[in-house]
Amino acid sequence: MRAKEKRLPDDPKTLDFDRMFLPHMGAAYNLARWLVRDDHDAQDVVQEAYLRAFRFASGFRGGDPRSWILAIVRNTSFTWLSRNRGSDSPAEFDDKVHTREIEPRGLEADAVRQADGVMVRAALEELASEFREVIVMRDIEGLSYKEIATAADLPIGTVMSRLARGRAKLARLLKERLAKEQ
Amino acid sequence: MTCDDARVLMHALLDDELDLTKALEVQRHIEGCPECARAFDMFAAMRSRLKDEALRFEVPSTLEENISRAIRARTPEASRSTVYPSRRASLSQRAALFALPAALAATLALVIVPRALKSGAGQDLANEVVASHVRSLMASHLMDVVSTDKHTVKPWFNGKLDFSPPVNDFAKDGFPLVGGRLDYIDGRPVAALVYQHGRHVINVFIWPSSGDTTSEERIETEHGYNVEQMIVDEMNCWVVSDLNPVELGKFAALIRQKG
Ligand SMILES: [Zn+2]
Repeated sequence: MRAKEKRLPDDPKTLDFDRMFLPHMGAAYNLARWLVRDDHDAQDVVQEAYLRAFRFASGFRGGDPRSWILAIVRNTSFTWLSRNRGSDSPAEFDDKVHTREIEPRGLEADAVRQADGVMVRAALEELASEFREVIVMRDIEGLSYKEIATAADLPIGTVMSRLARGRAKLARLLKERLAKEQ
Repeated sequence: MTCDDARVLMHALLDDELDLTKALEVQRHIEGCPECARAFDMFAAMRSRLKDEALRFEVPSTLEENISRAIRARTPEASRSTVYPSRRASLSQRAALFALPAALAATLALVIVPRALKSGAGQDLANEVVASHVRSLMASHLMDVVSTDKHTVKPWFNGKLDFSPPVNDFAKDGFPLVGGRLDYIDGRPVAALVYQHGRHVINVFIWPSSGDTTSEERIETEHGYNVEQMIVDEMNCWVVSDLNPVELGKFAALIRQKG
């Protein structure tokens, strides 16, 4: 039976697609899960994104398949959010404020190291999605700035400043949670 | 450099995204500025917290199967435009495909461009080997026995296979053995040895040669998987990795020598 199964003809396009994009499903799900913040919704989003990707796969001309599929997952997530939850209240872009002024005062490295994991997770969940997505891509998925630029459709300079701001805001949220605990 | 600049650039420094000159400039500022040094330490601590595996959501096991199925359900119309209309599977064959384990169905890849191998059998094998390699990476089922000790890995195969695969560690050459597992290739159980080179994983599939395959062939793939096939001491050895062909060639040479 096995010999038959393995010779089963399948569409070359489908097989090519599988091999290139299915290995990135973990990254796709993680990103969707962090953006829509619900397991079932994230599964729907990933499925929709993969079907969309499959339809447009002929438009994929080399490059990094992971960034490409993540770009589609990201767009699908934001579309899903605006359709189902209204807007995700995009963060006001206080571009004139320096990153330094966003950082919390007196949060020490040791306090960050000792913070409860649940608290770190909750702080990241609370962070505005524009910042959450770049932090998830960089710190959890390990994408380079260039890959994030492709996936999030941002100039590389913006990737850097958004990460800096995002981490400063995250530090602030973490500090608030630590203060509440005491 | 001002503190305001340093507070942005230190993130790129942490992420290893600065060129050397800029990196030194930021480092110099941090060394001379206690306030920026404190911020840098705090963000470094934060970054390592975020890398914590527990923050990563694991993909539900059924999702891949669902998606694979959903894609195939669309294929009949999609495949009209392909160059192989006559090879399109019938609906009943498609139904049979759904019954396959999802991972297998998902990774039967036909993307290798054969150079040396013209025969259909060789091409089929190459496809299977690449599919197994990809599957081993994505199903988090890379290894059944995790050990860098060949004296642990080799006996592990005893009683599980009808042959004894050669197991060698090439750690001193930069290719440490990290483990092994049972796999299926060409409709039979085979030994899969897992090696590492930097961040690359190398799978070596081994099973007894039937004697009708040619001894040394090289195949290159389209999308970055490289495959080497050889026969060593009457064993078929297929080496697969996303490692570049030069490094993989070095590794294959080690396998050939040690047998
Ligand atoms: Zn400073």
